[in-house]
Amino acid sequence: MPLPQANSDQKYTYADYLTWPDDERWEIIDGVAYPWNGIQAMSPAPSVHHQKISMELSRQLSTFLKGKPCQVFAAPFDVRLSDQSTVSDNYVDTVVQPDLVVVCNESKLDDRGCNGAPDLVIEITSPSTGNNDLTIKFDLYQKHCVKEYWIVLPEAKAVMVFRLQKNKKYGTPDRFGCTDIIKVPLLGDLMVELGSVFID
Amino acid sequence: MPLPQTDTEQKYTYADYLTWPDDERWEIIDGVAYAMSPSPGTRHQRLSLSLSLQFGNYLKGKQCALFVAPFDVRLSERIGFTDEKITTVVQPDLLVVSDKTKLDDRGCSGTPDLVIEILSPSTAVRDIKLKFDLYQQHSVKEYWLIHPAEQTLLVYKLDKTGMYGAADRYAGNDQVSVSLLGELVIDLAEVFAE
Repeated sequence: MPLPQANSDQKYTYADYLTWPDDERWEIIDGVAYPWNGIQAMSPAPSVHHQKISMELSRQLSTFLKGKPCQVFAAPFDVRLSDQSTVSDNYVDTVVQPDLVVVCNESKLDDRGCNGAPDLVIEITSPSTGNNDLTIKFDLYQKHCVKEYWIVLPEAKAVMVFRLQKNKKYGTPDRFGCTDIIKVPLLGDLMVELGSVFID
Repeated sequence: MPLPQTDTEQKYTYADYLTWPDDERWEIIDGVAYAMSPSPGTRHQRLSLSLSLQFGNYLKGKQCALFVAPFDVRLSERIGFTDEKITTVVQPDLLVVSDKTKLDDRGCSGTPDLVIEILSPSTAVRDIKLKFDLYQQHSVKEYWLIHPAEQTLLVYKLDKTGMYGAADRYAGNDQVSVSLLGELVIDLAEVFAE
């Protein structure tokens, strides 16, 4: 079982991923291994600021979704995305750990995480050269028809919300600042208050 | 002549703006004054310089002209407007103007072809929201937003309906073809090099 190497031509699968050390966090997109959130695998912890934002968003989402069919999960939580729904671990070439996901279809959930596209994915960008949120992951989530993709920019204290349109592409993002309220019709009448998300 | 105040109902014009102290930088958008302070940091200026070198070297001897902040763009000016009627004056980080008749001694009157804003924590939300709407409304053909922390670039281009679509997205080491300006290719690895 090969251990992951960033920036190599080696291709990996979910089967490889399952054998990797527990104390390193990786993602695999189209067979390519990326250190989670662009953070070097040797120092896998995201920043305090990142975690505060993640915690507050998950608090607001969970409070609203309590008792409803949709469920929120926070990283580390494996999301397997493949072109077919039932393939063996050896053929699953994409496993990501989004910062937050909302899954409304219970049948996509199993003991190992989520198999298939979540309804909503939230990524909080990290300052690093390996940041894939606006590029590789954008294309990935669009390809797998994730209905809403939120990109949180901690430094800018802003959120960009991409919604899938009829043509199965993300349209012009709705843009929100640090005192705005994001209405989420996808999840009913949820309103996310950014005022309590971007507290220093 | 009123001095600018943020968060008030007071509306300002370019005529007011011209009387404000030289050592303060402001923008006026639809009559509302926004402070440009604090000064951009080292990373911001390094990015700005690298971009202006790549754009400037390519545009040398060509019709289009590159300008770097501080440079006033009177977006809302129409022919015959007095300074009192101009309610939007911005200072983009970089801009490219192809129509030389828009240029005068005071800056640019009307819409540049391309505007680049480099996000900084103090102006990010304005760049992402307010200026996005402003540049779209005034039909700036390309609006580039640089995210220094994330080392990414979003390029919004006007679509057939005159709106910005989903952005083209580039990461820290991509090459960006700027077809609007001919054969220019911007090397982001160089832009983001520390």
